[in-house]
Amino acid sequence: MKTVELDEPQRLPVKKENVISLPLGLLGFEQVKKYVLLITPEEEPFLWLQMLDNQSQGFVVINPSAVAPDYAPDIPQADIEFLGIQSPAEALVLNIVTVRNGQATVNLKGPIVINRNTLVGKQCIPTNVAEFALQHPVNSLPVAA
Amino acid sequence: MLVLSRKVNENIVIDGRIVVKVVRTEGNFVKLGIEAPPDVPVHRQEIYDEIQRSNQAALTHGKPASARLPSLKVVPKPAAPAGGEGNTTGGSG
Repeated sequence: MKTVELDEPQRLPVKKENVISLPLGLLGFEQVKKYVLLITPEEEPFLWLQMLDNQSQGFVVINPSAVAPDYAPDIPQADIEFLGIQSPAEALVLNIVTVRNGQATVNLKGPIVINRNTLVGKQCIPTNVAEFALQHPVNSLPVAA
Repeated sequence: MLVLSRKVNENIVIDGRIVVKVVRTEGNFVKLGIEAPPDVPVHRQEIYDEIQRSNQAALTHGKPASARLPSLKVVPKPAAPAGGEGNTTGGSG
């Protein structure tokens, strides 16, 4: 099993089952195709999507149902076929969180859809993208500046 | 880049299955009608640019300590994001 060592105090073992492949990358990060999804129970619903080859960089992501219970992105058929998703239960949907000036927002326009079986994902643009906010507010940080 | 001249109501056909029609022109605006199969995503360029900028703003250097992540138990701020739809879910949860 592959493990990656960190220079940082907390050494996080990278399990193969947590490595997410994004063959097309994220918009603006097309060259970064491998990520590690780190889950810490006390931090949920927030997760940490870390670049596999650049341990110091990554994205805070969230299960959108935690902040937008009615969120129903209509994922294009081409994306579903690209990901090989057969049923909605096979799809893991994560949305990227931006923390700025003590305010966290969630990008609901560009969900990352991951096939739970293959761990291949893609940042999709839902066909009903106009219904969603680019900066859906979460709340204020407890340690706001 | 291929540049074609079209009059109003004239079409361009791409790949034999995507039809782009010039519907109307109004000053600087050109209204286009696009007929494409459902498996062909059609979006304004801006949506890609928006998501790209959002991704870049969200890039985080170093995993944030859990104390710095927002707690969902905190009541959401009613402040709407600039230029966003601003549909705060007040008081839910």
